[in-house]
Amino acid sequence: MESRLAHGQAIHEEDGSITASDVRDDVLVARAESLLGELRDAMPNDALVRIVAEASSDGEAMIMTVRIGELSIVTDPAHVHEDVALLRNSLDVAKPFRRVPIVWQNGTAAILLHEAHGHPLEHDREALQLPDWLHADVPLVMRRQSFRDIPLLRMQHVRVAQTNAPFAIPEDHIEVRMVDGGTYDPLSETITLRVSSSSIGAFEFSEARANIVFLGARGEPQRYPGVICSREGQELVVGSYAPALITTFR
Amino acid sequence: MIYRKQGHTERWENGTLIRVSESGAAREEGEFFECWPGQSASRRVVESSSIEDVVAAVAKIECERLILMRGAAHHEYGEQTWREETDRLHASIVHGSFRALVDSTTRRLDDLFLVASALHRIEGEREAPQHLRIAPNVSAAVLPFLKDAKQTTGGVDGYGNPITGTSASFYRPSYRVRPVRMLFNVALEHEQTHIDDDLPRAVALLAPATGIELRVLIEDKARVYASSIRVEKIAAVATERIWYPYGAGSFGAEMML
Repeated sequence: MESRLAHGQAIHEEDGSITASDVRDDVLVARAESLLGELRDAMPNDALVRIVAEASSDGEAMIMTVRIGELSIVTDPAHVHEDVALLRNSLDVAKPFRRVPIVWQNGTAAILLHEAHGHPLEHDREALQLPDWLHADVPLVMRRQSFRDIPLLRMQHVRVAQTNAPFAIPEDHIEVRMVDGGTYDPLSETITLRVSSSSIGAFEFSEARANIVFLGARGEPQRYPGVICSREGQELVVGSYAPALITTFR
Repeated sequence: MIYRKQGHTERWENGTLIRVSESGAAREEGEFFECWPGQSASRRVVESSSIEDVVAAVAKIECERLILMRGAAHHEYGEQTWREETDRLHASIVHGSFRALVDSTTRRLDDLFLVASALHRIEGEREAPQHLRIAPNVSAAVLPFLKDAKQTTGGVDGYGNPITGTSASFYRPSYRVRPVRMLFNVALEHEQTHIDDDLPRAVALLAPATGIELRVLIEDKARVYASSIRVEKIAAVATERIWYPYGAGSFGAEMML
């Protein structure tokens, strides 16, 4: 077992610099410990679990990462039972990846839009061209991982929604159930996604983001449990919601 | 036993300066690891030199990413105490569709200027020549992946133990992480030390090193191009070494394949 306590403050000086130190605020530390208790009470006892409780002047957060085998999810006490059930049902056998249409289930399309739409916006690139029936709400705000870090313009959440979208699943397709992670390279405008669970098992693909074509969507946005976004070494949780989505490659 | 650390860093990250002062402690008991911020009333003041002069010196280079860091720390583990200075430079420079990476120290800016100059003359992609030189800033990145690279004697590890050529050493980059076994200040010796200065030279990394296959920028007299190389069949390694901040330290040297 590993246990870490951290506290501190960052003062933004008039000249634009930041002065940070590990000053303790007893009220915030007590609040974080209370949140940690909630996380401990809710965590499963038969998996590898990492719990993080944060209390700051910017707000509070409870983050629980659960790993079973090669798969992991990021959840919280309110969703841990349903998310761990998804994790347990996602252990499957790998087959070769083919460049066929993809059906993004369980809110995983939020990760696709996170990489292909959200990160480019952070880098001041053009927004991804979306069909009229698809909307992506990706507010950018200044965020930092800790008092030691410089705030960066980062995604607060990715909320994808559809209105009267078509939805016809092609016969030959891959169904994605969980995504382990992804990257966006601003130089090549390429995204890479590491799918951890799908109808063909785990696979990874890289594609120019302009080559992603949206074919259809269905249902209400579903919360995806599992997005810790890392940029410039700062890891932040990004809330992710998306309906079932069908894409193909140009 | 409890490990304690107090330190101060100045970090320049893409236009913003942040000064961080902190102290902390860590304890290990078998598989249990715990750390917490220190609240010692007798906090030692650890000064580090200003980084702003370095920022001014590299202002002419247009970087996609520029991170400069200087710091100093005081460590205690049991009866042992030691002081450590940290000095890092990380930059990425873009030209067209190519990105060059520079990892060095703020006291050695030559690499940054040379790489920036070469990258701006890049002509495109070419196959790597059969024989070439590898500059120290590139060879340092690949040394941690070479089985013949050895730890260099000198300094102390994360438990305050002397780093020797034979003992196991433990790397502790922060009080917040459990020390891990790692080779410090790796270097490679070769019976041949003469380098043919007429050969094309890999002068920069175009992607992070993750093994012995590297994406590099090659300078061949007036020509500059991108290529992929495999660092094997090493024909010579020069004796002059330069320290680079890869892993727990790496001594790059001019190398010939």
